[in-house]
Amino acid sequence: MSNPLLAFWFRLFGPDDDRTSPRMRSRVPVVSAARASATIFLILRRMRAPLIVLITIFAISVLGLTLVPGHTEDGQPWRMSIFDAFYFMSYTASTIGFGELPQTFSDAQRLWVTVSIYLTVIGWAYAIGSLLALVQDRAFRQALALQHFMRTVSRLREPFLLIAGYGRTGELLGESFDALGKRFVVLDADEDRIEALELAAYHADVPGLVADARDPGHLAVAGLANPHCEAVLALTDDDEVNLAVAMAAALLRPDLPVIARTMSPAVAERMAAFGTPTVVNPFDRFGDHLRIALRAPASYQLMTWLESGPGAEVPARGDPPGEGRWVVCGYGRFGRELIPDLHAEGIDVTVVDPVADQAGHGSGIVRGHGFEPEVLQQANVADAVGFVAGTDNDTTNLSLVAAARRVNPGLFVAARQNRPSSAPLFAAMNVDSLLVPTEVLAHEVFAQLSTPLLWRFLQEVPARGDQWAARLVDCMTRRCGRHLDALWKVRMSRADAPALVPWIDSGGARLGDLLRDPDDRDVQLPVVVLMVARDGECVLTPDDDFVLAPGDELLLCGRHAARRALDTTMVVEAAREYVVSGRHVPVSWIWRRFSGAA
Amino acid sequence: MNLEKVVFGFFVLLAATLNFGFFIGDIADPALHNIYELFAAVVVSLIATVLKFGDRTQIGAVHLATSLVADLQLITAAIAWTYAAHISADGLTPAAMASVVSLSGGALFANVVSVVLLVVETVSFHRR
Repeated sequence: MSNPLLAFWFRLFGPDDDRTSPRMRSRVPVVSAARASATIFLILRRMRAPLIVLITIFAISVLGLTLVPGHTEDGQPWRMSIFDAFYFMSYTASTIGFGELPQTFSDAQRLWVTVSIYLTVIGWAYAIGSLLALVQDRAFRQALALQHFMRTVSRLREPFLLIAGYGRTGELLGESFDALGKRFVVLDADEDRIEALELAAYHADVPGLVADARDPGHLAVAGLANPHCEAVLALTDDDEVNLAVAMAAALLRPDLPVIARTMSPAVAERMAAFGTPTVVNPFDRFGDHLRIALRAPASYQLMTWLESGPGAEVPARGDPPGEGRWVVCGYGRFGRELIPDLHAEGIDVTVVDPVADQAGHGSGIVRGHGFEPEVLQQANVADAVGFVAGTDNDTTNLSLVAAARRVNPGLFVAARQNRPSSAPLFAAMNVDSLLVPTEVLAHEVFAQLSTPLLWRFLQEVPARGDQWAARLVDCMTRRCGRHLDALWKVRMSRADAPALVPWIDSGGARLGDLLRDPDDRDVQLPVVVLMVARDGECVLTPDDDFVLAPGDELLLCGRHAARRALDTTMVVEAAREYVVSGRHVPVSWIWRRFSGAA
Repeated sequence: MNLEKVVFGFFVLLAATLNFGFFIGDIADPALHNIYELFAAVVVSLIATVLKFGDRTQIGAVHLATSLVADLQLITAAIAWTYAAHISADGLTPAAMASVVSLSGGALFANVVSVVLLVVETVSFHRR
């Protein structure tokens, strides 16, 4: 940063010095940050030649015009002054043209003016042409975009997420986080994706940049060094890039949580070598989900509902098949992840794949394409209970499902959907369990980052059994309807709930009283308390007689209106008094003095 | 030999010399100050400014600043001359001439700083 202008720039818009530790700031590169202010220099550099040409042409024309002899109307010899000549050349060169001022020209002057007209027109055209070419120049536009992006990111004054890769997963997550009012910043190497981001109707302004996320400098520009950055998400479809992002984040900001997507266990191993990133492999997760869905359909329903983001409708509860053999078509990355999971459930598997090597795990292998009748016969689909169409081609998967169902209509069918455009076809097929890798990923990330405590709750769910989950889903749909409005966390502290503190300290704070409507205490608010966390311990779905203690954290789900009502109870003392005891106490200080209810 | 440096040095120096040529002489006597010299000084000074566009070094930024100061002074001098000769009723009085020349004197000072910077840059630039 040798330039004083840049130094000044950084004073104004650079990272907050007081909030970043010096060690951290020295770690994050600012090379491309300095590049971001290159725009003005680029303009100046490019305009050098045209401007000098224009100045020279003007100088020559004006000088010539003052030297060429002319005469006044009464025949006196007359020469133009520099001012007159400059005035004349200004309106002539810019093609405005007022005629011959201040006197009619002599033929010698006209000859010179003719030459200078051609010269100046060429000069102007050259200068304006250069400027227009510059504005359309790709490098210039990139510099401009980079500068704008950097400014918006450095002005973010609230927590935000750094998302590298704005594919289908990024889109889904963006919608969910935007609905929660969370800010995020996007990097993507594909220009079309950033354009899609600009067209997306988000509430908040989402800064996006076309850049290779592998470059730590780009990550720095996107706010890796910003103290408000909350987490880094590596969601590109290229494992190498995700690994690079996870590495850069772990090395430059070891304090940030990192969530990375990968499709291969080997890359997951390499990511784990750097700090403690959360690595999400959608294929692996789908296997875990399928196991839960087979064992506990209601638990699975509850988990998917809570992970689906704000406004999601309650998903249908699956109907898992009984004991029996499964047929898995496709032994690629997905098959390799899924089959061990099925074995772990004690399920026999027959693998169908045209090029399968030894599948191991004691599975039977049938070589060939699963949509051919004789192959299906060989794999004995007729007396299987489950069927998985897991190739990386949607058309193939759809025809696999159709062929298998023709042989055995009662099959439990799981299918893998690769492209978002195929969604309506799979929906029409009505498969029992659908894997959309991007959605699995989005739900997973959302569950981890949206609401603190939610992830903890979801970890606990499978252990609580299917009956409990079914009761909870019923309770939630009864109280809050079939759409999940909001999930949020409240803390019983002086900061979050000032009105509740004395009541909780008294030791008789029943949870049931807190959930009454502050307008009519006989009405229960449409809220369900999913979990109470106290000193690292969790109580899931506490009942109304649960007694709150100071510092408790509650994870709630319910309607937006209920959230507002609960906030009122937590902040306004009169509302709290009414909800707890039914007494109306005055709100204002003066009235309290009068009524003596200090 | 770096042609860019040669061209730039030429223009910086030419702007200073023309400026000096215009400035030298009795401050209030129009006969001792050639209008064409002022014209040439303005043009050359503008070209020297444009040549410094887009230089991102520390010394380049200071160069641009001094160059802009010289332009400002010289253009103001030209406008003062135009006003005296064309607009004011009194014509080119010694007072008006004095103000034109003193403005160009200010520009001369900026140009001298430019030349000093040029020399500093040349001296501190070792290429062995």
